[in-house]
Amino acid sequence: MKKSNAVFSIARAVLPYLLAVLAAFAAAGVFIALMGFDVFKAYGTILFTSFRTPNGFVQTLLKFVPLVLQALAFTIPLTAGKFNIGGEGQLLVGATAATVVGIVFANLPPVLLIPLVLLAGVLGGALWGLIPGWLLYRFGINEILTTVLLNFVSFNLVNYVCTGPLRDPGAGHPTTLAIGENGWLPMLVNNPPLHSGILLAILVVAVVYYVITRTVSGYELVATGANPRAAGVFGINTRWMFIASLVIAGGVGGLSGALEVAGAQHRLIEGMQHNFLVLGLIIGLIAKGNNLAVPFVAFFISVLEVGASAMQRTLMIPVEMVFIVEALILVFVLLSDLVQKRVS
Amino acid sequence: MNEFWLTIISYAKLILLTIVPFVLAGQGTMLGGRTGIFNVAQEGIMLVGASVGFLVSYLTRSNELGMLAAMLSGGLFGLALAYFTTNLRMDQFVIGLALFFIGIGLSTLLPKIVIGVTLTPPLIPTLKEISIPVLSQIPVIGEIFFKQNALVYFSILLSVGLWWYLYRTQVGMELRAVGENPQAADSLGVNVTRSRYWTAIVGGMLIGLAGAYLPMVYTGTFTENMVKGRGWLAIALTFFGGWKPDTILYGALFFALIEVLAYRVQVLGTAIPYQFLLMLPYLATILVMVFSFRKARVPAFLGQNYDREKRAL
Repeated sequence: MKKSNAVFSIARAVLPYLLAVLAAFAAAGVFIALMGFDVFKAYGTILFTSFRTPNGFVQTLLKFVPLVLQALAFTIPLTAGKFNIGGEGQLLVGATAATVVGIVFANLPPVLLIPLVLLAGVLGGALWGLIPGWLLYRFGINEILTTVLLNFVSFNLVNYVCTGPLRDPGAGHPTTLAIGENGWLPMLVNNPPLHSGILLAILVVAVVYYVITRTVSGYELVATGANPRAAGVFGINTRWMFIASLVIAGGVGGLSGALEVAGAQHRLIEGMQHNFLVLGLIIGLIAKGNNLAVPFVAFFISVLEVGASAMQRTLMIPVEMVFIVEALILVFVLLSDLVQKRVS
Repeated sequence: MNEFWLTIISYAKLILLTIVPFVLAGQGTMLGGRTGIFNVAQEGIMLVGASVGFLVSYLTRSNELGMLAAMLSGGLFGLALAYFTTNLRMDQFVIGLALFFIGIGLSTLLPKIVIGVTLTPPLIPTLKEISIPVLSQIPVIGEIFFKQNALVYFSILLSVGLWWYLYRTQVGMELRAVGENPQAADSLGVNVTRSRYWTAIVGGMLIGLAGAYLPMVYTGTFTENMVKGRGWLAIALTFFGGWKPDTILYGALFFALIEVLAYRVQVLGTAIPYQFLLMLPYLATILVMVFSFRKARVPAFLGQNYDREKRAL
């Protein structure tokens, strides 16, 4: 009896998502068909590329690492009721810090250099989260605009580093020199190449979930988000919660940058953040800010993203089509919420 | 006139030319906010406006049609925002973000479908300078103020018109009431739903037009993410313009001044790497927020959705 109840409640939670996905695919399908493409072939490619070959699956995991961390960088402050739209800047500053450390200390042994590179990334990102956090704490300035605007500051920082002192003169695109090989993350699988960043990402997911659901500080964070005034009355320093959540989110965002550097690219490349920020926001919002739901949604979005590139290669349908599908899924998830509220 | 004065004049002219996207997007944001609709999709709507405006100008060789199309697409976003927030009463910030995402996607998708990938960037004619007869003959002032493109004149007249409408007419006052206390406005016979719809739609049109200005005046072509945060800056501008048309116009001058400084000083060549100059608009905005945000006057009902059937306390 009890077990069937649990199954029922999970089904009830998942069903609206399924309907939202179907609705988004249907809406975008009309558009794809109007453009004169084969809708079923397109959707087959989008959904199954990740599972047809080992390479497709590894590509999906590689996409999953930055996306899940970017989504957490958004949902951690959201737990406290704050919006961090600055994951992109935190990624880039983290990646910059990781690259600088990886180049300057290139001769250290891996045991020291790998942790140093990752730590630099986390601290760089945390610093980028501290600025809006402090402005919020000290002056009460809304974090939404400050986090966004700092993204644009970081773009110029990356352009400076990639074309200035650490430039790789051989590269056509603004890029730095490679970090020392001792700073590269060890490989889990060599062919197709999968670096060990995925383990760290899963660890972060687990720690975030544990801290928020099983510790006092986590509970205080949730209480702050649920009702800051009530939380304040009960002695929680809510302003401190805001700043802490933004700094931690910045650290997580910075880690996503460090993993891109140490695991995937081994250097800082202008534009390496692709559309990770926006996808992270979409993931976080589809998950409705639930930190446990984030990895599952992030995996699904990674599947779509890998499928999108394959679709562009083989069917010549622009990747942006899938991006619009993802945004539509979000809209339909929001609509399904509304329907549920009306019904109950 | 010597070299120095000529430089000053050319800079003043350039600053006035640069206020347009800020004024249009700022006034568009302000208009929606005056009925309680807080649009945060500016960046996305401007991108769509830039993309659609560019494409239509490219295909028809007519900037006017391009601007019209950009306004139409911006208006559609405004309509969607009005429907989702007014009829469905969804969270304004979240649905605004969703529209922002759709805008990013559409803006790069459309050129890829319509034009495809080309080796050289496809170009459109840029907006022509219009000299106002007689007035443009005045020394210095004529050169700065009366030899500009049509949208410079339009954005200034629009600001004056909006100020007049909101602060000197009965309907304008009623509109402001909707953003302050929709319950009271409703009880006095103001149609809250209708005013929210039209302000969101017209606001969206202005923001779309602001986007179209970028390819039509600055670059002559559309590039990915060419709005470069101007949509977000417009939100900041609206806040420290106190949601008033006149102060938004003055604030836009400040934004334009910083932008001209950032982009033009690098041409002169300085010891500072140009990337740090390009950070200026964003850093300056954050700094201004520190000093002015707490004093900013905001419509009381901003960002909230009105439910007619709900009891008033």
